[in-house]
Amino acid sequence: MKLTLDAIRACLDGAVPAVVATSSPDGTPNVAYASQVHYVDREHVALSFQFFSKTRENVLAHPYAEVQVIEPGSFRHFRLRVQYLRTETAGALFEYMKAQLAGIAAHSGMDKVFVLRGADVYRVHAIECVDTHVAAAAPPPDALLALRRTLDQLGACDDLAQLADRALAALAHGFGIRHALLALLDARAVTAAGTAAGAADCALYTLASLGYSTSGVGAEVALGEGLIGVAARERIAVRINHRTSDTAYQAALRVTDTAAPRIALPVLAQPHSRIAVPLVHGARLFGVLYAESETEAFFSHADEDALVVYGRHLGALLARLAALPDDDASVAAPSGEISPATVPVGTPLSVRYFAHDHSVFIDNDYLIKGVAGCILWTLLNEHAASGRRDFCNRELRRDPRLPLPDFADNLETRLILLQRRLAERCPAIALEKTGRGRFRLLLVRPLQLGG
Amino acid sequence: MPLTLTPDQVAFLHGPLSMNVGAVGRDGWPCVTRAQGIVVARDRRSLTVLLSAVRSQAVLDALAAGNAITLVASRPQTHATLQLKAARAERVPVTVAHRTASAHCVSAFGAELAALGYGDAVADALAAILSSEDLAALRFAPEIVFDQTPGPQAGTVLARAPGVAAP
Repeated sequence: MKLTLDAIRACLDGAVPAVVATSSPDGTPNVAYASQVHYVDREHVALSFQFFSKTRENVLAHPYAEVQVIEPGSFRHFRLRVQYLRTETAGALFEYMKAQLAGIAAHSGMDKVFVLRGADVYRVHAIECVDTHVAAAAPPPDALLALRRTLDQLGACDDLAQLADRALAALAHGFGIRHALLALLDARAVTAAGTAAGAADCALYTLASLGYSTSGVGAEVALGEGLIGVAARERIAVRINHRTSDTAYQAALRVTDTAAPRIALPVLAQPHSRIAVPLVHGARLFGVLYAESETEAFFSHADEDALVVYGRHLGALLARLAALPDDDASVAAPSGEISPATVPVGTPLSVRYFAHDHSVFIDNDYLIKGVAGCILWTLLNEHAASGRRDFCNRELRRDPRLPLPDFADNLETRLILLQRRLAERCPAIALEKTGRGRFRLLLVRPLQLGG
Repeated sequence: MPLTLTPDQVAFLHGPLSMNVGAVGRDGWPCVTRAQGIVVARDRRSLTVLLSAVRSQAVLDALAAGNAITLVASRPQTHATLQLKAARAERVPVTVAHRTASAHCVSAFGAELAALGYGDAVADALAAILSSEDLAALRFAPEIVFDQTPGPQAGTVLARAPGVAAP
């Protein structure tokens, strides 16, 4: 049976260094270590181009090479006869290899040396298993079965908050993932000046997390930065199977203004395996699912495939929820009792609002900023002026005081962020859902508002 | 006049190494195979590299055709790497000393990988793949030695025999 590239993907994870043999035009052989032999598709691999090496000089003059890769676990050797085609210096393949190289470099203690200049793409002409008498390594856990279990656990979700929480809990059930978070894209983030920003200023916000000491809800990730940001910008899954000390690929990312108040991402300090998967439906990006593990090589190629499918399924569910109208009369209020009105008692809470970035501080502790901060300030002032407690999404969308964009306003996401931040940081102020697109403001203590 | 390896280079080549031999086949396609032992001659002007005949048919065929040889040896723990090249290599009979050297080399390589976290089973896996039952021995006099340690300095010439052109 002819060996296929698909069958040896485990050899292409950088766990064991590969070598590449090339020839100069005069027939002098050269053998060099290859940091990365990346699976591109069934017929192509890409090698990392880091230095102007003899290998590179040779393949530019004589494009034929042989690559020897090793299967982790069994140490079976495979030889690939390959032909150099082209070098990519930007785009999805380049970004993926750049991120993965950071992991491989740290794994091998070479993180100060390895910088990707390009992804050299080769056509694979033939694959030979050198050690046919050696048993293959045990296959990784069945990713398709894990995906099926995950989807069974996820079930139907009619509500964004429920979907976010269940999407992560289901991963633990299906894939045994213990640490994960869901970050949703804010398509038109609000700048510090309060105006709508361009695409370059788009950001992702953590809506839910799993398995961390702090939830990190509301933590911001800039588009294009770190593993999560790269997965979002390039709309590709990125998997790193080794610990990396490359700060550019840490999931915890800097915000545009480092002096501004911020919520930290709740990620592991030293993850050994990480994966970021875009949540897409059609042409629209909704966010990124990020998972990590303290175990080396936790995520297999097959896991990546399965999580990409899961990301698309979540993308479709998010698209469906986004398309639902507010105040849908066919949807009943959530089961359970809605809290009765209470009279706030006790010492007043000091609520301060800063208009330049819409940040809100409660008793001098940072709570939230941006549109969510502006919404809270508007609700609290409305309540102070008229005593109103019940609000609906539809009126917020029309409120000229709120800097919401005309399209893709992510209002529901912002309200969930606000609701969760309040629950974590200031339970004396709560937002309680009373039906689709409707909610109630609950105050346990009196407030002292100061702009 | 061939070059003479330095005592440090000899010590390195007798250490726990990952080693591979490359050549260019009769069809012009490069080929590579894992080697499993190096024995440097007393005068440090030639060395014998050991490899599995069954696993290395393409390389042995290329060298039998009189083509050039390259040997790359790398220490996993430090990434220190040397590449040695010569215009030709001669296949020589395998001796008991060669078998002993190969078994020692494979064992040392396995122990080095195990210490680096590749798992306790790595030594057994390597022993199964790199048996000393079907060894072939190739002797050559290095004509040029490169520092191939990963990094921008990779490819630096460390030694060159008189009359050998710069790469």
